[in-house]
Amino acid sequence: MFDIIRQLEAVGGTEPAVAMATVVAVRGPAPGREGSKMFVLPGGAVVGSVTLGGCIDARAIGEADAVLASGEPRLLTLDLAEEEATEIGFSCAGTIELLVERLELSPDAPLWASYRRIVSEEEAEGACLVRLLRDPARVLWVLSDGRSDGSLGSASIDAAARAHASAAIARGTSGTQPLGDGEPAASRALFEVFRAPPRLIVVGAGPVSVPLVELGRTLGFRITVLDPRPRLARPERFPGAAEVQAGMVSELLSKEPLGPSTAVILTIHDPKVEVPALRALLDSRVGYLGMLGSRRRGRAVLGALADAGLGAEALSRVHVPVGLDIGARSPAEIALSALAELIAVTRGAPGGSLAAGKPERKRGAA
Amino acid sequence: MIDLYGQVIADHFRHPRNRGALDAADVSHEDANALCGDRVRFELRVVGGQVVAARFAAEACAVATAAASLLTVLVEGLSVDRAAALPEDTLLSALGTTLRPARVGCARLPLDVLRAAVAKHEGNRR
Repeated sequence: MFDIIRQLEAVGGTEPAVAMATVVAVRGPAPGREGSKMFVLPGGAVVGSVTLGGCIDARAIGEADAVLASGEPRLLTLDLAEEEATEIGFSCAGTIELLVERLELSPDAPLWASYRRIVSEEEAEGACLVRLLRDPARVLWVLSDGRSDGSLGSASIDAAARAHASAAIARGTSGTQPLGDGEPAASRALFEVFRAPPRLIVVGAGPVSVPLVELGRTLGFRITVLDPRPRLARPERFPGAAEVQAGMVSELLSKEPLGPSTAVILTIHDPKVEVPALRALLDSRVGYLGMLGSRRRGRAVLGALADAGLGAEALSRVHVPVGLDIGARSPAEIALSALAELIAVTRGAPGGSLAAGKPERKRGAA
Repeated sequence: MIDLYGQVIADHFRHPRNRGALDAADVSHEDANALCGDRVRFELRVVGGQVVAARFAAEACAVATAAASLLTVLVEGLSVDRAAALPEDTLLSALGTTLRPARVGCARLPLDVLRAAVAKHEGNRR
């Protein structure tokens, strides 16, 4: 979501407004997620998508011109069974509610200013923007650290909105919720949750790291590359990285936020860096720790760490050899395999083939 | 494996002397072998033209790490002039083995970093 807002910042220089479609609610097994967004520019160009398959994007695009012209928001309820049955002969099923509205891109427009403010908050881990569906022009936002601004019109509703927003940030999910004592339908509020991009630290600036950074950036990670070799640790080799640093890797790691939302992949393939780096990392709460290398190299490095006093439980956190078994050979395939494992571990998924008949997981289990 | 390099290198690699940082270093210098990524830093405290304390940090191979450790021992108590001119042969002899030509460069990196640290200190003083 941060990326989409940032793409739109470039649009703001040339267009006064765009149509914004937001998934407000999903019922049944519909292929969408609350909070997904799509923007339709006045010329018809599209940024983002409201569903994974794009099956109802056309409906949102169809509403865009009218909403842009009138400025009146529209709340659409789309029955996918009907839509898909007539369009392509079989059904995704479920119902999606879609808010389509005109988004003014001037710096002083409250909604646009709120989005920009939220994505500029590098330190906050998440944010929630709240609006009443009957009056979506009023905005209130809350950051994960408790800071808040804006109003939905009354102090009591604002207080309730802030409490629900903090809970929504903690859950990490967007959705709707009635606010206040009025009729639930009339007091429905949309809570849009924005999570800071997950962090990926790549230790090593060698050949696997180049596609690893490219693919990781596409997947939405904010990436830092660390390597002792100044010739390789150069920003021009990693245009998708937020930071590229040359130095003593274990020391550079000690300055990084090594919390559960940070993943680290070591591609350096050199024990003089791996051993001190892993000592620092295993003393932290990083969410995923992968290391490129054969099982034999892995045993040697983990053995050195065991000699230094690290226990089996700590060492079991290191995924070595890194990656899912997809038969990877090239650097890009190895990078893909590593990132696939990272995502599977983060989501608690086994990483097998979906076609192999795994029972469906409940929505929102991720 | 490390024992292949001889007892002195094995000992200094396993039990490095003066590894760490100085509370108030007069000079600090760090550099890396651009090809292999060995990285070494020295910190020195200099009083009255004499090196009174030396510490090193390294993420480097066994030879470079041992050489850095050994250099902190060799350099303490020397005048800055003698420290800057510490001969390569003195270091190689102190390492107690004959290194293959390919590994001499590993020992030379910390010596170069130490000399640069002393030169930086003298440059800062002028």
